[in-house]
Amino acid sequence: MAEIVAAMAMTHSPGLTGWFTRAPEDDQQQARRATAEMRRRLEAARPDVLVMLSNDHLLNWPINNVPEYTVGIADEHVGPADWFDEWLGMEKYRVPGHPGLARFIVNEGARRRLALAWLSEMQFDDGISVPTHYLNPDARFRLIPITMNCTVPPIPTPARAYEVGRTLGDVLHAWPGPERIAVVATGGLSHEPGGPRYFWVDEEFDRWFLDLLKRGDHAALLAECTLERMEAAGSGGTAELLAWIVALACTRGPADVLAYMPAIAWRSGTGMVVWNELA
Amino acid sequence: MGNVERCDKTLPTNAMMYAVRKDAALRARWRTDLEGLAREFGLSRAEYEAIRDKDPRRLMDLGVHQYYVPQILRLFFGNAQNSNSSETLECYRRAFPAETAQALELQARLERRRG
Repeated sequence: MAEIVAAMAMTHSPGLTGWFTRAPEDDQQQARRATAEMRRRLEAARPDVLVMLSNDHLLNWPINNVPEYTVGIADEHVGPADWFDEWLGMEKYRVPGHPGLARFIVNEGARRRLALAWLSEMQFDDGISVPTHYLNPDARFRLIPITMNCTVPPIPTPARAYEVGRTLGDVLHAWPGPERIAVVATGGLSHEPGGPRYFWVDEEFDRWFLDLLKRGDHAALLAECTLERMEAAGSGGTAELLAWIVALACTRGPADVLAYMPAIAWRSGTGMVVWNELA
Repeated sequence: MGNVERCDKTLPTNAMMYAVRKDAALRARWRTDLEGLAREFGLSRAEYEAIRDKDPRRLMDLGVHQYYVPQILRLFFGNAQNSNSSETLECYRRAFPAETAQALELQARLERRRG
């Protein structure tokens, strides 16, 4: 049976690749150290496949038809999408997919009353591309991207994301193959992409949220970190932390917070965490 | 809830931006015939003028999804090295002076804290 062998989360802000050196040197060093540590722990866990969760940023679906979750089922994934490569300062990359497991997630999810849309040619913006640049640059690990709606009303709640995460964990454990799976959440922390507070981050919220992860009390986090609280810390962007909550549901206990930077230059509160105990 | 709740999911500009980002030919039309492109997608005069004037406040007041606003500006100003010193910042400074001033003040405070 398949096994979840790692769970981690990181910010995917485009500045982390597109204009990395515009941030203070201290932030650059922290980001380099933390992503290197994530990669070290990922390699130590020896996953066969990364299940990577990210906001879709209105790229794969038009605003009149936004699924809550979408699974990429391709044999091979190619990114970034043309509109994003120059912005992200990235060359095109190719990562092998895992269509068998991806299709299983879609169909087994449906049997468990979880509606998952799917795409055979998913496009990638910063949400998948930036973490791939740092965590899987040599395409060593196969990829199953799962994009989610974090920005088009109605935005799902943290409680719903946690419920989806529990179901996703059950589905992954039910896969009859021997795969070792890492769950990687991307997005957040506080930011308001394109909103009136586009150039602002909420350091107080970010540190509070990361402290909740350090405490490791899932019930407390879900009670305190409401969607309203996320929206107050940056509308339409901070709720990318819903991806982190999906990953949280696959874990137990406290997370290691590897770094936090209130990186206005990168347009986002920027953080990296790894969980040690898996559910 | 937050600013994102103000978007009008039926607004033609939102449909146009979804299409333009995916299509190099439409992006070329943006540079040469924005008014014609807007007409084809059924934009109102107010939507077209808010885009032409690069005005984030009017765009959001009309119901453009906030995520598309900087993308609209990138179609005018270019895509690379989109830092805080870009023309985009100037557009936001004009449209949202209080919020942008607060953000820049925070950035200066963070830099002072680092010494």
